[in-house]
Amino acid sequence: MNDETLLNERVQVITVFGLGAHQPCQPVKFRRANGREIKISELGLRHPRPTGSKTIHVFDVTDGGADYRLEFDSHRLTWHLTMEADHYGAA
Amino acid sequence: MEQLNNERPMVMHIDLNSCFATVEQQARPMLRGRPVAIVNRRTEKTAIVTASYEAKKYGVAVGMKLRDAQVLVPDIIALESDPAKYKYVYRKLLNIMNDYSAHVVMKSIDEGVIDFRQADPNVRSRQLEDIGMEIKQRLRDEVGIWMKCNIGIGANRFLAKTAAGLNKPDGLDVIDSTNLRQTFDKLRLTNLTGIAEQYQRRLNKAGICTPLEFLDAPEEILELVVFKGIAGKQWHQRLRGWEVDDYKSEVQRVGRQYVLEDFNLSRQEIVQRLHHLCESVGSRMRAQQKSTRGVYVYARTLDGEYWHASHLSELPFFSDQAIFEFATHLFSKAPDRIKEIGIHCYKLQNIEDSQLSIFQDEIARERAVTSTIDTINSRFGERTVHSADTLGTGIYVNTKVPFGSTLYL
Repeated sequence: MNDETLLNERVQVITVFGLGAHQPCQPVKFRRANGREIKISELGLRHPRPTGSKTIHVFDVTDGGADYRLEFDSHRLTWHLTMEADHYGAA
Repeated sequence: MEQLNNERPMVMHIDLNSCFATVEQQARPMLRGRPVAIVNRRTEKTAIVTASYEAKKYGVAVGMKLRDAQVLVPDIIALESDPAKYKYVYRKLLNIMNDYSAHVVMKSIDEGVIDFRQADPNVRSRQLEDIGMEIKQRLRDEVGIWMKCNIGIGANRFLAKTAAGLNKPDGLDVIDSTNLRQTFDKLRLTNLTGIAEQYQRRLNKAGICTPLEFLDAPEEILELVVFKGIAGKQWHQRLRGWEVDDYKSEVQRVGRQYVLEDFNLSRQEIVQRLHHLCESVGSRMRAQQKSTRGVYVYARTLDGEYWHASHLSELPFFSDQAIFEFATHLFSKAPDRIKEIGIHCYKLQNIEDSQLSIFQDEIARERAVTSTIDTINSRFGERTVHSADTLGTGIYVNTKVPFGSTLYL
């Protein structure tokens, strides 16, 4: 029924800025703690999640095989992988 | 009988249908084309808040229990609602709409109205269908390619909304005086916004069984027989394209409800959840600069009983503690076997209008403490400071999708 795995994994992310007015910041690749590199094929949605006066920027992305949620803490300048959903049963 | 409004239709209704499911499919490309249900809690007993079109095709409907939906669609994907995501899309849509007119009203988190009658002449001179297509494209460009919206154009809000419902999920339709009758001919009474089963029964009793018969019904019949009041006259005008729904509504009450996560909770555990609701309601109310004089609590039982009690105070109050004290006192008489609880504050008034009390020092102190807590929560995040009593309730009673009012978005 749902295959989300919730995580709190610090990741390294390569990001491109300035791609356009509607997409000012786009992560293109990230490396997980186990060394695995994931190339992002599509940014589904970026949205801010205000936490008090601090803002976390949430990036929902996919590599074409699984969906991932990356969160950028604009206060600490850190990236975390917080969700992975790698299959959804039969199509 | 009043004539049809044959002016150029200048009201546009925009509706992000299956909004939350569509936004999730936009965010998570692997979900696109799959049956998705959005729920507030991922349990089998939970009710579906929104279903994707792929799920609706199999009969999954809003309000249906997830376990029933799983019978219809065994591989349905249930996702917990993510209000921050939907609020972001709401603001994007609002920004787009504001580019065309200063007269934009969001009716809820997923629908809004643009009134072009007082828009800039450059905008007014354009075809509204073209503007509608442009808005659809901007939504795809500025939010994402999976986003779809229904757009309806009409002479008043009612006809614009009706038009927006004609061709889901990505329609753009116009209802004007030339096609009003043909359009109504294809609809049922309950397709009309504001006509649910109860009004349908009343209309049927008066011999009105179709929207066309409703349109042709004399004003006196609607006013005296069906609606028994001014609402009949308003319906008579509304159906003909005259505007009767352009008014601002004041906040009358602030409330929250909660379906218990477990029906075997002790009374103390239920009261803790009520306390959480009181804190949530108090915070929302103060964010609107309001205090309250009334507290209303209710409970629904597993046997279908609806119990309620209320208290109206002489003087207004605003702190979570005061709301909770009244609420617990009332709740002590609530029945057993509770399934759902709710509270709302009514008789709201502006905080600065509150009448002075002889206990002014006490009130000033309470106000200072409450205001400090609100400031801390606003700076460091919701519920950074809250009652120790509600320490364990956060994971259950967290604020979910805000329906109806857009005040808290």
